[in-house]
Amino acid sequence: MALSFQEADGCATIWLFVSAIQNKFVLVNNGSDDAMDDEVILDHHYPNPFSLPTPSLGNLPEIEQVVRNCNNSNNGRDGLAKFILSEDYIKQLIPLVDMAEDMEDLASLHKLCNIMKIFILLNDNSIMELVVRDDLILGSVGALEYDPDFPSHKANHRQWLGKAGRYKEVVRIDDDDIRRKIHTVHRLQYLKDVVLARILDDPTFSVLNSLIFFQQVDILTYIQSNPLFLKELFGIFDAQETNQERKKEAVLFIQQCCAIAKNLQPPGRQTLYSSFLDHGLLSVITFALRHSDTGVRVGATDVLVSMIDHDPSMIRQTIFRQMSEKQTPLTDSLIDLLLVEVDLGVRAQIADTIKVLLDSGIHPEGPKMGGNDFNNPSRRVIVDPQHIEFVKDFYDGSAKKLFQPLIDLKDRGDMNFSIHQVSLFTYLIEILSFFVRQHTHNSKYFVLSENLGDRIAQLLSSPEKYLKLTALKFFRNLIGVQDEFYNQQMMSGRVFETILNLVTETMPRDNLLNSACLEFFDFIRVQQFKSIISHLVESHRAEMKKITYVEMFQNFITRYDDSAGFDSTMEASFLETAGSETPKRSGIGPRRWEAGIKDIDASEEEYFNTSDDEDDIVNKSARSVNGASPLSKPLVDYPSDEENENMEADIAPSSSEGKKLRAGSSKEVEAESALPSPPERLSEKRRREEDEEDELNKLSQSKRRNSSSSNAGNLLRRKKSFSPQSGTVSASKSNKISISLSTAIKTGGEGGGGESGR
Amino acid sequence: MSDLDRAIAQLRACRPIPEAQVRELCHKARELLIEEGNVVTVKAPVTICGDIHGQFHDLMELFRVGGDVPDTNYLFMGDFVDRGFYSLESFLLLLCLKVRYPDRMTLIRGNHESRQITTVYGFYDECLRKYGSANVWRYCCEVFDYLALGAIVLGASTALEPRSAPYDRRRSTQELDDSEVEIEVVERDGSINNRYPRAKPGVVATPPQESPAKSSPTAKTGPPGSAASGWSRGTPTSTSGAVLCVHGGLSPLIDGIDKIRLLDRKQEVPHEGAMCDLLWSDPDEIDGWGLSPRGAGFLFGANIVKVFNHSNNLSMIARAHQLVMEGFKEMFENNIVTVWSAPNYCYRCGNVAAILELAEDGLGESAHPRTNGDINRSNGIVLREDKTLLAGPARRYRVFQAAPQDSRGMPAKKPMVEYFL
Repeated sequence: MALSFQEADGCATIWLFVSAIQNKFVLVNNGSDDAMDDEVILDHHYPNPFSLPTPSLGNLPEIEQVVRNCNNSNNGRDGLAKFILSEDYIKQLIPLVDMAEDMEDLASLHKLCNIMKIFILLNDNSIMELVVRDDLILGSVGALEYDPDFPSHKANHRQWLGKAGRYKEVVRIDDDDIRRKIHTVHRLQYLKDVVLARILDDPTFSVLNSLIFFQQVDILTYIQSNPLFLKELFGIFDAQETNQERKKEAVLFIQQCCAIAKNLQPPGRQTLYSSFLDHGLLSVITFALRHSDTGVRVGATDVLVSMIDHDPSMIRQTIFRQMSEKQTPLTDSLIDLLLVEVDLGVRAQIADTIKVLLDSGIHPEGPKMGGNDFNNPSRRVIVDPQHIEFVKDFYDGSAKKLFQPLIDLKDRGDMNFSIHQVSLFTYLIEILSFFVRQHTHNSKYFVLSENLGDRIAQLLSSPEKYLKLTALKFFRNLIGVQDEFYNQQMMSGRVFETILNLVTETMPRDNLLNSACLEFFDFIRVQQFKSIISHLVESHRAEMKKITYVEMFQNFITRYDDSAGFDSTMEASFLETAGSETPKRSGIGPRRWEAGIKDIDASEEEYFNTSDDEDDIVNKSARSVNGASPLSKPLVDYPSDEENENMEADIAPSSSEGKKLRAGSSKEVEAESALPSPPERLSEKRRREEDEEDELNKLSQSKRRNSSSSNAGNLLRRKKSFSPQSGTVSASKSNKISISLSTAIKTGGEGGGGESGR
Repeated sequence: MSDLDRAIAQLRACRPIPEAQVRELCHKARELLIEEGNVVTVKAPVTICGDIHGQFHDLMELFRVGGDVPDTNYLFMGDFVDRGFYSLESFLLLLCLKVRYPDRMTLIRGNHESRQITTVYGFYDECLRKYGSANVWRYCCEVFDYLALGAIVLGASTALEPRSAPYDRRRSTQELDDSEVEIEVVERDGSINNRYPRAKPGVVATPPQESPAKSSPTAKTGPPGSAASGWSRGTPTSTSGAVLCVHGGLSPLIDGIDKIRLLDRKQEVPHEGAMCDLLWSDPDEIDGWGLSPRGAGFLFGANIVKVFNHSNNLSMIARAHQLVMEGFKEMFENNIVTVWSAPNYCYRCGNVAAILELAEDGLGESAHPRTNGDINRSNGIVLREDKTLLAGPARRYRVFQAAPQDSRGMPAKKPMVEYFL
């Protein structure tokens, strides 16, 4: 029976009644037993109205009953708690467990368990501490082994807690008090996780947690303020220590310290980590990272990650010191390990660590957010020159080592890889994606010089869908940073073509890869990347026409046709309105490019200055193609085209300078284009697209082993663009007819699409 | 394959499989899931289940109630892990079954199938305890990213299959023809708890006739246009019989099922956006959209659901995500149902659980070859004349309670083996 009271008065009344009955009960049952005397005495001094009979196997049902009743009111609980503490009642109960076990009296054991549960769930700190006291813990959990909810089961808590062997002491802790606290924490955790896991309510849970917390604070304070202890601990890693097992345990010990430190307040953590670092933690990590035991490596990365989570600059400072002392920096050790590591966990942690260490403080929430990040000024953090230097050093040396497996794809035709390689690529591509977002300039130069875009594009043709998806993610990330430079690179690397083919290949099937591709193009649609859309329509109109199961691709074509159909002035105004329609883009543009120009670094400038030769080639090829431009012109044969051409011819001579500039950094052009001078911007833009297209040819020529094939490709493409021209008239006619309809669709689509993009 | 069967046997006994095997399993699962669309098409018959939350023994009870796996097709609507003490065993068993019987198991993603949530609500800790490292958790999280976001059930029957069990209609007060029953609630012992008939002719306003192909002659049950034949009381706007299953609910960014296809689902569950909403939203008695107290997703009202169902030609939405004391709860004139499959949630909520059975329509066009001897299953040759009109599917809810105490060990977490501090 369980009663609950809303009012304390009601409880008190019932309590008096129960006490009366209880007295009778005791008299009847126990006769002149000792218990009666106790009872009488208790009855006499009644300051605490709550009392329990001295426990015996006989009166357990009664005790349980009273305890249950008390448990139902706040007063009852308080009184009960006081009583238990003042009488050390648990101590009195515990001998009964052994007794009942000896007699195989399951009923009594169940009663004991119930009583003990209620005691613990009183949520009284002192009772909790009492339960885990050295002399009581085994008895307490012993009672809890016989849960009446599971009558046919018996837990083995005593076995778990009884063995002293589970506690390992790497370095002797002299303070008895601290040692006791360590055991207490362990027992409390065991109570929380095992014994009480099923019945734990929120208040008890927090009482346990706070008890654990306070003990842990004391323990860590002891450790960090005890130089002798620390000296001995880190001394284990000295050369003279030969006990490998001890080294391993020391690493695990430090790992556990750091895991606990995560719960501390930041200043407390800071002190602990600093004192660890002062004692040479970094060399311990370096040692442990190379350890043959996976557990130790996991420990090392755990320690590293927890410190980096706390404050990455702390580790960075140490790395700077390493570098200035001409030691191998930690990052290099990490890279070495990442490339050979077989354990997934270690690898994942290392990949994360590398990212965080090289993080320059901009925190994009993920590729999805792409351009929006730049809208938030708080994301731009002023980085210290040391860090810039560090990043620069990284790209000068380590980056190449890190991404070597990707670079090595260059001459590889076979795209079948081992599981190990596949997972390595995944991590590398993830890291690279992160770097592209983070180190706009260094990474751009690196990606370009190592041709990483092309290498990753190779992976798009891997038979492994998973790898395709990873590669696709990379390019999705690239368009996400909204950098015309990358867009051009992707066009020249025919990435869009490959992805479009992926859509076609996977088209009849509704699968993850297909959806990911669609999302890729949908992003282009929502963000209105004009250059990409033009590129798509100009080069892949036919393919896109065939994809009708989503309206997106038709939408590209109509949009392109619509905009190309205007004459220059109209187009200018169209572009303007388009700009105002997409406040997002125009909002990002200037600010970002501004920033971009500001932090162009010396190496990049140097690179672009020294690459003049290439530029000449660009110009040459640009010119030659310009000459042939009528062939590669857009397909739609509008009268306005002539005008455009004339205009371009006018610009051409004066633009060679501009071209150099453009080739150097498309950003600057883009920045110009953001200036409020519409007609100029238009020509600038058109020309740029045109030239970039040429650069595309150039790049594909220079990088393809078989240049003739690429020429053939060009011809083919020209032919392609040429041959439909005859058909364009009719096409354009039908376009004209469908204009009103298609714009309606378009606006409808945009409305929905705009929302879904957000 | 025998390896897989062994793993299944081991997991059924609630014993975790070795890490290497988990890795292999996850790898296979990934290859399988990558081929699934964001919205998987599932053909009836299928049994739809809600949250499991690591209550392994209750999952086994679910299989006892609903039929074992190769015999019954299952669709689990996410939240396999966290809270309960056997997230690992539960999820791995479901995953094994998915790999073993890909066409008979459908798993879609719940909001707990996420790195962030599992680190807070227990799955991460559980993996750490059971394996000593977080690798298994990482493998599983990788699989989470590949899980489909929803499923659509096609070809569900408008009538419950006749039940041959002797206790049929024992408690039923109304004598109903099987074909008139839209909803049936069945207790674990097979007894019928309650039955709800379809709306009688004239009760529901005549719905607009769908394409003539669908409403071809149906003389048996009522005059054409009277809505007598296929119209359920609760599903007056659609004749398709299709059921959309998602974990949470709708999103203001998704006005059609095709929009879900445009999501790149291979990512951690984001904090906002369509993918997040599908996994986090809840229906509520409000008008339009509302802010969710969960801090992710939205609340959506009856009108939203009705419009969505109408424009997508759905007869109802099945979702999970919210504890329902009765195991299931239909809302908004039966346009949406919450199915909850974790009895005595968190081992203390005292609720019952339910699973939703949708029978296969008798035309046999969507019939899978099935093993014989299934209990309570149509043999696939029952032809009904009124099948030409597709109405809201007939639904049988099987309600069940937490597994009997003895059938499970004491639920507890595995303790730490060694400690330094």
